[in-house]
Amino acid sequence: MPETVREFKPAGPEPAYMERINRLKKRVLETRPEMDLENARILTRGFIESEGEPLVLRKAKAFYKQCAEKSVAVLDDELIVGCPGSKIRGGILCADSCWSVLDRELDTISSRSYDPFYLQPADREAFLNEVKPYWKGRSNYEQWLARIPDETRILRDSGVVYIDRKAVRGFGETTAGYRWLINEGVEGITAAVKKRRAELDIARPGDYEKDCYLQALLIAAGGIIKLAERYAKEAELLASTEPDMQRKKELETIAETCRRVPARPARSFREALQALYFYQVAIFMEQNAASYNPGRMDQYLWPYYRADLEAGRITAEEAQELLDCLWVKFSEPCLFQDAGTAEFAAGYPMFQNVCVGGVDETGRDAVNDLSYMILQATMEVRLYQPSLSVRYSMAKNPNSFLRKVVELISLGTGFPAFHNDDQGIMMLMNKGIPLREAYDWNPCGCVETNLEGRLRQYTALADINLGSMVEFALTDGKSRKHGRQVSRQTGDPAFFTGFEDFLQAVKDQVAHAVRAVVIGSHVIDEISMDRPCPALSLTFKECIDRALDYSRGGAKYNVGNGIILIGVADLVNSIAAVRHLVFDTGQVSMERLLAALNDNFEGHEDIEKLCREAPKYGNGETLADQVAGEMFTFIADEIEKYSSKFGAMTPGILPVSGNTPFGLEIGALPSGRRAWQPLADVVSPSGGTDLSGPSAVLKSVAHLPHSRYVQGTLLNMKVEPAMLNTENGITRLMALLKSMCSLGVYHVQFNVIDQETLIRAQENPEQYKGLLVRVAGYTAYFSELGKNVQDEIIGRTVQQGNPVG
Amino acid sequence: MAIKPVKKPTAGSVLRIERSSIHDGQGLRTVIFLKGCPLNCAWCSTPESKNNSPEKGYAAEQCRGCGRCVDSCPCGAIYFETGSRQVRTDPAKCSICFHCVKICPAGAIKKYGSTLTVPEVMRQVTTDEVFYFHSGGGVTLSGGEPLNQAAFSAEVLKECKALGINTAMESCFYSDYKNIEMILPWLDTLYVDLKHLDSVVHEEWIGSDNRLILDNIIKADRGPGPLAIVVRVPLVPGFNDSDQNLLSTLRFCMKLNRLKEIEILPYHRLGSETYVHLGLDYSCRDLKPPTAELLLERVSFMKRQGSGIDISAGSGFTSG
Repeated sequence: MPETVREFKPAGPEPAYMERINRLKKRVLETRPEMDLENARILTRGFIESEGEPLVLRKAKAFYKQCAEKSVAVLDDELIVGCPGSKIRGGILCADSCWSVLDRELDTISSRSYDPFYLQPADREAFLNEVKPYWKGRSNYEQWLARIPDETRILRDSGVVYIDRKAVRGFGETTAGYRWLINEGVEGITAAVKKRRAELDIARPGDYEKDCYLQALLIAAGGIIKLAERYAKEAELLASTEPDMQRKKELETIAETCRRVPARPARSFREALQALYFYQVAIFMEQNAASYNPGRMDQYLWPYYRADLEAGRITAEEAQELLDCLWVKFSEPCLFQDAGTAEFAAGYPMFQNVCVGGVDETGRDAVNDLSYMILQATMEVRLYQPSLSVRYSMAKNPNSFLRKVVELISLGTGFPAFHNDDQGIMMLMNKGIPLREAYDWNPCGCVETNLEGRLRQYTALADINLGSMVEFALTDGKSRKHGRQVSRQTGDPAFFTGFEDFLQAVKDQVAHAVRAVVIGSHVIDEISMDRPCPALSLTFKECIDRALDYSRGGAKYNVGNGIILIGVADLVNSIAAVRHLVFDTGQVSMERLLAALNDNFEGHEDIEKLCREAPKYGNGETLADQVAGEMFTFIADEIEKYSSKFGAMTPGILPVSGNTPFGLEIGALPSGRRAWQPLADVVSPSGGTDLSGPSAVLKSVAHLPHSRYVQGTLLNMKVEPAMLNTENGITRLMALLKSMCSLGVYHVQFNVIDQETLIRAQENPEQYKGLLVRVAGYTAYFSELGKNVQDEIIGRTVQQGNPVG
Repeated sequence: MAIKPVKKPTAGSVLRIERSSIHDGQGLRTVIFLKGCPLNCAWCSTPESKNNSPEKGYAAEQCRGCGRCVDSCPCGAIYFETGSRQVRTDPAKCSICFHCVKICPAGAIKKYGSTLTVPEVMRQVTTDEVFYFHSGGGVTLSGGEPLNQAAFSAEVLKECKALGINTAMESCFYSDYKNIEMILPWLDTLYVDLKHLDSVVHEEWIGSDNRLILDNIIKADRGPGPLAIVVRVPLVPGFNDSDQNLLSTLRFCMKLNRLKEIEILPYHRLGSETYVHLGLDYSCRDLKPPTAELLLERVSFMKRQGSGIDISAGSGFTSG
């Protein structure tokens, strides 16, 4: 269904609607994130009222109560309305999942260093007097803490694995069936539930349970309708007293829209957007979690936009304004997570991943006008949400689309996340989804893969610290930091007779950690069976057909949980260094290397230099790249070896910021990295070791078997402004992205090294030690250049076509 | 079975190889900087490319004064400067073995250049084939002066053409024409410097007059093959930015049949530190790079002459 492609003028006067958008933005930016206990208090009262009833009904009734009783506000300038809590930048405590994480942080949450939330005294009181007393002993998190298997616990407690994430918040990591909801309305879905319910006979074994479940779905559906009605009423009330005629009209339109959707099928682009956002609010209210992904908005909203345009009901500009308003809404909620988890993913990360481009269900080009308008919305709004992703099909998507993507990249916001469509499709197929449906995949959270309304999984259940794997192979399983035996014994390295012995020890350590994570994952799956989510399940058709909740495997496809690897370059570079220095060239004996690592290279600067100069991943060097290929094939094999009751376990490489806390657990490594420093970021080379430019980075990264890492692989690259601020630069970046697709790399996103960064680096060279710039035909560390040359590079960054990179 | 005599691969003196360059020709390119240059431009931004053979430099600001190089130099050529923790090398004793480069923990002693064979160069070149394919890029020989090692350069370019890789060369064209003839069959685009049209001024600033260069350009322009020529003018304020010189440049270029465009490249000082590292004097210390305004003004001045020639402010570098 590709249609005409509309070109946007790149510059020009700001459209008139930007005044409204800027006011909306200002409100978000000037509002401090706060804890919002309203949701937890209503949930608690709801559960108190329903003691003795089946869990899923209690959850549904509590959800209905939240919809019926929560505060409802239509704020100035809004065109799209809805808020999951009582505060626009509220963090919601998911009390039934994890009330106790707030309990631990009552005194610190307002000022903690990662993602502070201001806690009002009244909310604190409410927590202590209402929420805590009821939930004590009843939450999923407490179940987890009581049941962590020993094998998992010791690694968890020593910073080798991080596995609490799904115990300290709700499901998330999913793409609900927005399309169905918008097209059929809640009433259409309700009709399907009722039809299914009519087929049941509660005299038959098992049907009572199903009946309760379908009843719960109906209650949740009623809640969503109730919520929209309350917004309609509020808008009507405001309209009746609004003196400004234009705003009065806007409020009346809001009221009319909320009367219609999401209860009934959307009839217009505006109704479709409002229906989408109400449902987004609803599933977030049900369970606080990151990564509720709207997915392929350019596909499922396109028929509404096109119909409006054809009927003359909307102009492109009006549609853009509505999209921009929705974009601001996406940036309002803040993910509440405990301090430890926040360290692994800082920045209140809601990860509501919106996707454009790719192919349609027939495998043809899916790009349409809306794809461009969605990119444009991010260019105009420039807030942290939604997470914008591109599915780029090199064979099918037009160059004009790729160019628009590069124009957005050049703004330096870090968006969009650029995905190689063919690899994404392969990942879905490797999850067991047939090609016909794999065509419809969407990026989820960071770079995970998902399928709208059909797929259940925890995409990032646990993280494994790959730095530990090297450390343990060289310490016979002891942690340098904790000074005790943490992992299995894989042999005293003094007795390794060849490289193979060392490599086997690393592999054995990996195998041990994977097993420990799988065991823990099974426990979390078990606990999650009692984490019903009827509002979310409502748009998974098969949950209705099977009368089985999402949490219990009701979705059409279920796969094993995601196991995430952190410290790719540290692992690869360390193995390559040991091979090169100890076994291939014999420049350093194992004893001397171990002594140097033990002393954090203090007094062993000669060995440190050799370690740093050993072959490094990211330069297209054969030795390091071969290690990358072999190890990450082994790790994928090892993870896929295990299954949960939902399917084969799934690997991915996508830490958000876990490389920093994991680094604090690891002593010096043979890669030349000193103790307690952050590990390398995702699949990117270690900072400051990629001396050969972007093509070499991509060639190295291409050695990983990307499509086997079905939860995605994330690559961050720095880009020189010269690539972006000239006509030639833009077409060259387009070529670079196509090359990346040819090489089978799955994902990349860019940070632009701007003038401000360089000035900061000049002032604080210590913090920017690894910052590389291109000088005249070569790459150098910015901090090592003399001030004159630095100044010249800084000065040239603003000119056209200059050599900074 | 008769064993074929193995031909020893041709080797060249290479300063460095830069991958995914966007400054020296179309698309994403691998630029091979060769060592050795016959000219002596005062503003040269790559002084480490002047000598034919590998050499070493010393960045005093990075030196930690640990003395490892002093202690372990096999020739005893390195010593501490009196009253300081900085080191010096006695060129009479130094055997240029680069042992000091290997052991310096601070990376303060640098090696400029290495000897590479054609297959070694081609191994690096072919790594980026996919990038050339998508960007219309390829390989650029630069320097230094590729014509100083014409046999090596020709062999690299020939191998590139055999693989369908686009080729370019940046050259000052100060060379015997027979060297140029070796290259031309394998060259798609020639980037040639026109520093000054007045032979006397040219000699005064660069040490050689320009007649050989101008003759060579004309000959290459009249020669066989589908060659495209891009004339590059390194804009050095006070040397060649006058109306008169730019007009002479235009007049010369109008004689060329294969001229694609003229690129005006701003003089820059990014190489000034390398002079210090090599222990050389940077005579252009007080020479200011042209401002963006001046550069654009000079370009539009040339455009106004209405010669019909494409003229642009280039983003590339000029080494001399």
